[in-house]
Amino acid sequence: MSYAYLFKYIIIGDTGVGKSCLLLQFTDKRFQPVHDLTIGVEFGARMITIDSKQIKLQIWDTAGQEAFRSITRSYYRGAAGALLVYDITRRETFNHLTTWLDDARQHSNSNMVIMLIGNKSDLESRREVKKEEGEAFAREHGLVFMETSAKTAANVEEAFINTAKEIYEKIQEGVFDINNEANGIKIGPQHSPTNPSLPGATGSSGSQGGGCC
Amino acid sequence: MDYFRSGLKSVLGAQPPDQQITGAETVERLVSRVSTSTLLEDRRDACRALKALSKKYRVEVGAHSMDVLKQVLELDRSDCEIIGYCLDTLCNITSKEPFDDENESPLALNVNIGEQFTEMFIKNTENVTLVLSFLEEYDFRVRWPAVKLLTSLLANKPKEIQDIILVSPLGVSKLMDLLSESREVIRNDALLLLINLTKSNANIQKIVAFENAFDRLFEVITEEGLTEGGIVVEDCLILMLNLLKNNTSNINFFKEGSYIQKIAPMLILPENIEEVGWSPQKVSNMHCVLQLVRTLVSPNNPVQIITACQKGLRNASLLEALCNILMASGVPADILTETINTVGEIIRGNLTNQEYFANVMAPSNPPRPAIVVLLMSMVNEKQPFQLRCAVLYCFECFVYKNEIGQGQIIQTLLPSSLGTSDITTGQLLCGGLFSNDSLSNWFAAVAISHCLIDNPAQKEQLLRVMIATNLGAQAVGLLHQSMMHLQQGNRLQSKIGILMLLAMWLAQCQQAVQVFLNIPGAMAFLTAQTSASECDNNEELLQGICALIMGLCVVFNDNSVQNYSKENLSQLIEKRVGLETYCKKLSEISRHEVYAKAAKQPQILAKHSSELLLEFEFCKFFKTFEGVIINALGVQRDLQNGISELSLSEHENALLLQYKELIRDQDKKLHDLQKALTNSQREKEMLKNELDELRQTNSQLNDQNTLLKAQLATNTTSNHIDNNFSGTQIVPPSAPLLQNNENHEELNNLKKELIDKTEELERLRKDQENLLELLTDQDCKLNVFKNRLREFGEVIEDEDSDVGSNSENEV
Repeated sequence: MSYAYLFKYIIIGDTGVGKSCLLLQFTDKRFQPVHDLTIGVEFGARMITIDSKQIKLQIWDTAGQEAFRSITRSYYRGAAGALLVYDITRRETFNHLTTWLDDARQHSNSNMVIMLIGNKSDLESRREVKKEEGEAFAREHGLVFMETSAKTAANVEEAFINTAKEIYEKIQEGVFDINNEANGIKIGPQHSPTNPSLPGATGSSGSQGGGCC
Repeated sequence: MDYFRSGLKSVLGAQPPDQQITGAETVERLVSRVSTSTLLEDRRDACRALKALSKKYRVEVGAHSMDVLKQVLELDRSDCEIIGYCLDTLCNITSKEPFDDENESPLALNVNIGEQFTEMFIKNTENVTLVLSFLEEYDFRVRWPAVKLLTSLLANKPKEIQDIILVSPLGVSKLMDLLSESREVIRNDALLLLINLTKSNANIQKIVAFENAFDRLFEVITEEGLTEGGIVVEDCLILMLNLLKNNTSNINFFKEGSYIQKIAPMLILPENIEEVGWSPQKVSNMHCVLQLVRTLVSPNNPVQIITACQKGLRNASLLEALCNILMASGVPADILTETINTVGEIIRGNLTNQEYFANVMAPSNPPRPAIVVLLMSMVNEKQPFQLRCAVLYCFECFVYKNEIGQGQIIQTLLPSSLGTSDITTGQLLCGGLFSNDSLSNWFAAVAISHCLIDNPAQKEQLLRVMIATNLGAQAVGLLHQSMMHLQQGNRLQSKIGILMLLAMWLAQCQQAVQVFLNIPGAMAFLTAQTSASECDNNEELLQGICALIMGLCVVFNDNSVQNYSKENLSQLIEKRVGLETYCKKLSEISRHEVYAKAAKQPQILAKHSSELLLEFEFCKFFKTFEGVIINALGVQRDLQNGISELSLSEHENALLLQYKELIRDQDKKLHDLQKALTNSQREKEMLKNELDELRQTNSQLNDQNTLLKAQLATNTTSNHIDNNFSGTQIVPPSAPLLQNNENHEELNNLKKELIDKTEELERLRKDQENLLELLTDQDCKLNVFKNRLREFGEVIEDEDSDVGSNSENEV
């Protein structure tokens, strides 16, 4: 249960693009073809290893429906990573990416790592958005890009882990202020040298220093 | 009034001594000053005065000043003092509670003024957002009243405020930041605000949790000294409870965030607890901690969440800590009760935890298993009622889905283990079952019944239990003894307890049914109860369960008891009780209000001991078997294989034989007919084949015929013969071809002959005609000559009459 870092993620994107399925595939390693509409947000968690360090991912899967937009906005601040998901078989979900990105950039902290994900790559025959288009969009907006399939699990692990790697690198570079929990990053209890109940207060500078070296 | 006026002199200036100025007028004057004054100081003074008046003249201030106050909040936000006055004033006029020195207003009698003003204020949702924005102002004079105003608004219109805050950008975040506030009064008020804000709103609960609420709250709790701390600790725990109750997503987050470990220190009792004692606040805090743990493992949660949390609680040594509290001395009864409930839910349906619990020993001399010590309290009349209920619940949780545990408990009832000197669970349960305390009877009966759930092996084992009632008396079986107790006793609670035990024992256990049916008077008792027509307070429950047991005796009957075979018993129900009455009695159980209460949750919840009649698992059991029994009674007749011939009466047997004969006959007939049908079909097939063959030959002949006709056409000139011939196709195809040809020729010859003859005949006819003509001519000539002769005077004798007559005529 102990971890070196804890990262908070959010998953955003239009309704029906497979956000909940991506989370379920990542946390439970299963696919549920018929999934209920997410109401508000749902929580999931998993431990991963990067650079032989245990990293805990806490993921908030948000509702894509417009009605929940104002609620889900509350989660932007305080997330270290975001998975922005569209459906490669539905062009309009790709077209809405700019709106999502603007929303995310406006409400989140500037260092939040955003990973662009084209989901449902298993449905090649119904593809409406070319992979190159996704790549181009990601390049233009400075995002990491990946096509995934929550059904076949293709690239699902990679999507979550690569996002974590990016965050981890930013920590190493000292870009993230890990003292501020509003950034969505926490240092694990055993890594904090002082009182475990006050992880952010004084002890974190030491840990950060360790990370830099 | 004088006091008030003098206080206002500084603001309003001196008044003429004879004025009769009313509060309303003062307020109006102040309001106009706030809205018209150009100097900030003047506005500020007016606002301060409004604030001062807002308690006593609440209606007036609220009615007149709302708009100007909003205006000030927008325009003067840089001045913390005036904002503070405004917020305070708004807070006062929207307060839910009336003030002590508030002027009685005619309006105030029926309507809640605070609520009215709240409604007016929040009509424009921007106003709430505005107040939220003041939370960011660090100045104490602004931040604190802003928190208080929000609390007041929330108290009046919780749903509306929740919705507004939920959609305000960073609304919840701003409130959450207040938990890190160094000024305790603000932090504590913010805590209360959050408690109200998170009530029954899952979305806000999740956002609050996302905003690191658990970290913040555990920080505060630690700072305040854990459970030794004051009411702030309690508030923190209440907020956590709000966030977790019925919120699976947050429970999952709590578990994944390793917060369970952070509860553990709060459950460790200090060494000197007996000397220090339990302060009321400590009791309250402890209560909340226990509630918190129970929320995680509540039977209402999804199973995977419960299992994961149970595991987490064990791994964090929380189960151990709780068991220590269980066995510690000096723990207040209500804490002990809640601890027992909590332990119960942590072990419920979790084998590892149940095993752990089975091995917990009480520090008594000699050491006894904790479960024995607990059961001793359950069957002890002197123990508090709630505590006894908790023990039963904990026991139920211990045997829930725990086949091994169930077996172990039943084992202690069996004769072999009775020899040991120490008290066993079995002894306690048996003692409780037949004690003079009806509540103990009920508790023990329910406890034993839970050991039998889904466990047919233990139902049979339990049949081996023998009870020696009096010294020297013959030992009787537990089932028998229960029945005797039932027939002798007159206390409803005790009877219902035992009947529930019997019902759950007999179901799916033919052996137990057999033993039961052999108990003299058992059936008579049930029949009498079921067919009884009068029922006063809760008797209908008793009758209903008796009906249920009768039904179970039908369903799980192996027909080994002569007089009470399946058929006999259903006859008994039909004849003595009547199916309709029977079903009605049965349904009385689920229609009773205690059924609805008990079926709601596994925990035994009752204010008073007399309320305890039915119990959760029994309700579940009843739901399963009610339908089964009604089906068995209703459609039994149709299920021939359900009845052996032995169970039928003589008349019916004869009838059965008769029908069997009839069926046999019909069967034979059917067989014969089928045979005949097969033969006919075979014949038909043969004929069909023959016909096909003939058709084939026929068509062959036809072909040949055509061929021949063609040949014939070239050879002969006459076609109509062919036609004639084709008309005679039905001639048996087996006729020799040669003969056919000969016939042809012969026919042709004959025809030719016929033509010749006809021609001859024609010729002769023509000759004859010619001759006749000639004759006529001759005749005419002759007549002419005759006439000439007459002219010449020659007498000519007529040769024939004809001529004679002619001559006569001429004469």
